[in-house]
Amino acid sequence: MKQTHRSSLTLFRTLIYIFLFGLVIVTIIPIWLVLVNATRSTLEIQQGLSAMPSTHLFDNYGILEGRGLNLLRGFTNSLFVATFSTVLAVYFSLMTAYGIVVYNFRGKRFFTSFVILLVLIPLQLSIIGFYQFMSRIGLTDNYASLILPVIASAGAVFFGKQYFESVVVHDLIDAGRVDGAGEFGIFHRIMMPIAVPGAVTLGIFAFAAAWNNFFNAFILISSIEKYTLPMLVQLMRGDVYRTEYGAIYLGLAVTIVPIIIIYLIFSRYIVNGIAMGAVKE
Amino acid sequence: MTAANSHKTGFRFKKDYYGYLFIAPFIIAFLLFGLYPVYNTFRLSFTNTTLMGGSGSFVGLQNYQRLFDTPQFMKAVSNTWLLWILNFIPQIGIALLLSVWFTSVRLRIRAVGIWRTVYYLPNLLMPAAIAALFFSLFSFFGPVNQALVRSGLIAEPVQWLQNQTVARGLVIFIQWWMWFGATIILIMAGMTSISVSLYESAMIDGADEWKMFRWITIPLLKPILIYVFVTSLVGGMQMFDIPFLLTDGRGSPSGSILTNNMLMYLKFSSSQGHIGAASAVGVVVFIMTTVIALGIFYFLREKN
Repeated sequence: MKQTHRSSLTLFRTLIYIFLFGLVIVTIIPIWLVLVNATRSTLEIQQGLSAMPSTHLFDNYGILEGRGLNLLRGFTNSLFVATFSTVLAVYFSLMTAYGIVVYNFRGKRFFTSFVILLVLIPLQLSIIGFYQFMSRIGLTDNYASLILPVIASAGAVFFGKQYFESVVVHDLIDAGRVDGAGEFGIFHRIMMPIAVPGAVTLGIFAFAAAWNNFFNAFILISSIEKYTLPMLVQLMRGDVYRTEYGAIYLGLAVTIVPIIIIYLIFSRYIVNGIAMGAVKE
Repeated sequence: MTAANSHKTGFRFKKDYYGYLFIAPFIIAFLLFGLYPVYNTFRLSFTNTTLMGGSGSFVGLQNYQRLFDTPQFMKAVSNTWLLWILNFIPQIGIALLLSVWFTSVRLRIRAVGIWRTVYYLPNLLMPAAIAALFFSLFSFFGPVNQALVRSGLIAEPVQWLQNQTVARGLVIFIQWWMWFGATIILIMAGMTSISVSLYESAMIDGADEWKMFRWITIPLLKPILIYVFVTSLVGGMQMFDIPFLLTDGRGSPSGSILTNNMLMYLKFSSSQGHIGAASAVGVVVFIMTTVIALGIFYFLREKN
C-alpha cells in the first residue's frame, strides 16, 4: 500500500519536472532564436532553424548600417534616456518614501493612500494631453519629456516605502541629529548608503521600464537622430529590411542583450523585489 | 507605520514639517506630468483641436458622439478586453498551478529559485522587440514557413499574419509569455506568507489537498489575487506595443488586433492629427478602466 503510494508520487514528480522543463523551452526558444539568428546570414536563416551560432554577426551589422539604420546611435540614445530616468526615479522615489516613513506630517495618510491609488490609474491614456502640453512648452522631440515624468513614479515610491519600513533605524536618525546633521544630510549620508540594496532593485526596474518604453518615445520624439532602440525596431519592420532577416535579428538582439546581462547579474534582487512591491501591504 | 508612530522623541515633532520637503518633488512632478495632462486630455476631448491648426474651438460632445457612432471604437474596446482576458486566464491558471507545486511540502520540487528565475526573464524584455521577432518569424518568407515547408508539414507557405485567429493567438501568447513568470512570483510570495499551522490543523481534521487549496489558500490569497487582477487589467487596457508591431499597426487582419491605444494613436497620427478625437478615446478608456479597477479594488477588499 505504502509502496504504491510512493511510486505514484515519484511518477507525479517526474511529470511535473517534464512540464517545468517544457515551459523552460517555451520561455527560452524565442530569446535563443534572436541571439543565434543575429549571427547567421539571411540565407542560413531561410535554410532552417538552428540552435548553433554562425559567423555573420559583422556582416549583419554592415547590412543595417548600409541601409541607414544607425544602431550604435540608437543604443547610445537609449542608454542616455534610461540612465537619467533611472537616477531620477531611484533618487526621488526613495526621497518621497523616506519622507512618508520618517516624518509624521499632516496629510501623510492621505498622501500615502493616494500614491497607492495612483498605481491603479492608467495614466498612459492621458498621453495626448501630455503631448499637447509638452508641445506648448517646447519639450517635444526632447528627452526631457521622456525623463522628467519618472520623478513621480507611484509604484517606485510604494516599493521604497515598504523597503524603508524594514530598514530605517530611528536611533541612527537621532544620532545624526545629535551630531548636528541636517535632515537632508541624514537622508543622503546615513540612510542612502543603508538603502543601496533597495535602490539597486528599484534601479533595475526603472532602467528596464525606460529602456523598453516604446509608446511615449514614439509619440514624443520625431527627429531620426534622437530615435531610441524601440523606435529603430519599429523602423526595421519596414520594407527596406523586409528580407534581411539576419540584420533584423541583430537589431533585436542589441535591444535585449543588455537587459539579459543585467538580469543574469541581479536576478536575485529582481525576484525578491517583485514580491516585496506587492505582498507586504 | 508602526516604527514612525511609536517613536516619539523631542526632535521628531519639530522636524515633522520636513516631510513636506521630502515629498515636494514628487507632488510637483505629479501635478505637472500626471494630473495636468489628464485634465488637458479631458479639455481637448471637447474641442476640435488638430496638430496643425493650434487650439481649436469648443465642440461639446461631438467627438464622443462620433466615437460611439463608429463601429471601429466598439471593436477596439471589445478586442482589448478579449486579448486581455484570454491571456489573463491561462496566466493566472498556470501561475496558481506552479505556485502550488513549488510550495508543496509533499512534492518537494527542487531548484524552485532557478525555474522561477527563468520564467520571469521575458517580463523584462522589450515588448516592441518581441513583437518584431514574431512578425519576422511568421512573415511569408520567414523561418516558420521555411521550416514547415522544408519538413513537409505544409505544401505551400502560409500568410499566417493575415489570419485573424493566428494574429490574435500570437498577441495572446506573447502577453502570456511575458507575464506568467511575474505572476508566479507574486502568487508564491502570497502563498509562503500563509501560516503553515493552518494547513497542519486542517490536515488533522482530515482535509485533502483540494479542500485545503479551496478553503485556505484561495481565501487567504485573495488580496494578492486582486492585486494581480487589477494591475493586469490596467496594463491590459493600455496594450499597444505588441499588437501595433505584430502586423501593420492598424490592427490587421481586418481590425482583429486593433486595441484602445492603437485607435487613439491612429486618430493622433491621422493626416489632420485630430488630437481632439484622439483625446476622446483616451478619456473613455481612462474612465472605463479607472472605474472598474478602483471598483474591484475597493468592493472586494473591504470584506477583509
